[in-house]
Amino acid sequence: MNADAKIIIENLSFFYRRRQVLTDISAVFPAAAITAVTGPSGQGKSTLLTTLNRLWEEIPGAAATGIVRMQFEDGWRDVNAPDIDLPWLRRRVGMVFQAPNPLPASVYKNMAFPLRIAGVSNKREVEARVEDALRQAFLWREVKDRLDHDARTLSGGQQQRLCIARALILEPEILLLDEPTSSLDAEAGRVIEELLTSLKESRTLVVVSHYQEQVKRIADRVFRLEKGSLQPQA
Amino acid sequence: MKSSWNEKAIVVFAWLSGLGLLAIFAAVIGFLIIHGGRSLQLSLVFGDTPPLAALFFRQRVFDGLFPAIVGTVALVLLAMGIAIPPGIAAGIYMAEYCRGKTRRLLGLFFDILAGIPSIVIGLFGLSVTIFLHRHFFRQLYPSLLISALSLAFLVLPYLIRTTQGALEDIPMDVRLSAPAMGASRLQNIFMVLLPRSLKGISSGILLATGRCAEDTAVIMLTGVVATAGVPRSLLGNYEALPFYIYYISSQYADRQELQRGFGAAIILLFICALLFAAALAVRRHLSRRFFYHL
Repeated sequence: MNADAKIIIENLSFFYRRRQVLTDISAVFPAAAITAVTGPSGQGKSTLLTTLNRLWEEIPGAAATGIVRMQFEDGWRDVNAPDIDLPWLRRRVGMVFQAPNPLPASVYKNMAFPLRIAGVSNKREVEARVEDALRQAFLWREVKDRLDHDARTLSGGQQQRLCIARALILEPEILLLDEPTSSLDAEAGRVIEELLTSLKESRTLVVVSHYQEQVKRIADRVFRLEKGSLQPQA
Repeated sequence: MKSSWNEKAIVVFAWLSGLGLLAIFAAVIGFLIIHGGRSLQLSLVFGDTPPLAALFFRQRVFDGLFPAIVGTVALVLLAMGIAIPPGIAAGIYMAEYCRGKTRRLLGLFFDILAGIPSIVIGLFGLSVTIFLHRHFFRQLYPSLLISALSLAFLVLPYLIRTTQGALEDIPMDVRLSAPAMGASRLQNIFMVLLPRSLKGISSGILLATGRCAEDTAVIMLTGVVATAGVPRSLLGNYEALPFYIYYISSQYADRQELQRGFGAAIILLFICALLFAAALAVRRHLSRRFFYHL
């Protein structure tokens, strides 16, 4: 297998209520790099992301077939294998949504939420990891004095970085981002692009984006998804 | 141009409907106060018994509404205590677990259940009690417990449907946010989905509470009586305000007695208001615990 490969997709098909969305997709996504998936809207780009953390299983009427292999610290695993523990997988493969989706709680509670789910209860450890993740997401300086404020009072760009930080706090090896800048203005989008570029040293990123400019700026490898099939783009 | 006239007409109609409703509400309250306001004295509640002695259950109240007030509060709390856990649990099941045909069938079943007249539920409670009395428990009669169980059965479909509806109204992106962070299904339900739907669920609980407090048909057949004193046991008879209002208005002897009926109606409304306030306070406390303001 490829030495620098992180994700290998083989013959992946996806169906939603009897409509075939993805047809027999095969692709290799490299490790420690940004892979961009682009293409016209409504062609299943976001869907493709949900096949990587099996989030599609939460959506009634969805079904997927095929193999998705990922190289984790302890070797290659087939994501679609029945013995995969879903919470474990989703901690290894983090996800950021198109629109920032903070919970209606304080900045701190938002950040600590994934840890609470994972059963990390040591207060000191939680505090340290919250700070660390916020620093990684370029947000610590801006929010360190208002950790107890409602997260929804932050600006759009800050909320999105909060969501990235919240995904980072579990130290995922792979981070999936679905149009992470589409709801932001140019300046806030630029900060996020910078952030993503800084993150790829330690993680594998898969970014869905329909902005060609953005894809050119940040991606190491580009795929185009159209009519259900995924093709590499020069 | 035409559409703006249509819009204006709709707005005016909406305002008039709202005002009309408000006027009816004010008329009902005003009517009650005009007719029953004068009877609102301590003696209406406690009769000739010293209020403190009555409140601590040291002396029995013969000529006042105190036993009926205690009976109604006990009945509502008991019925809601019985109905809320299975109601919410079934609502969660319907929204989060039940799929396909079973779900449609169960939904239809709950809607039919919600439409059953309360007198039929009362009759059902009575028949079951008689059956149990004959064949299993000689000491079982129509009583506070039977009434509470029947009322719980009456309001169960409201609780199920409002809980289900509140959960199903949560948008997909909110629904997916916690699982994407590694939350299990149960964690998602208890840490995100239920707190997010507290508002809808609590409005269902308020409706059901009101329904329990005002119902007369069910309790008439299952254990309420005109004089029983403060309820002493779950398996004993009890008094309740709506039943008092019913029998006083159907067989009052003089004006004063009718006035007492109106007074009882005001007290019943007041108790409902208190129960509503308590439910809202619990909701606020819970939503603060999980989230900020919702």
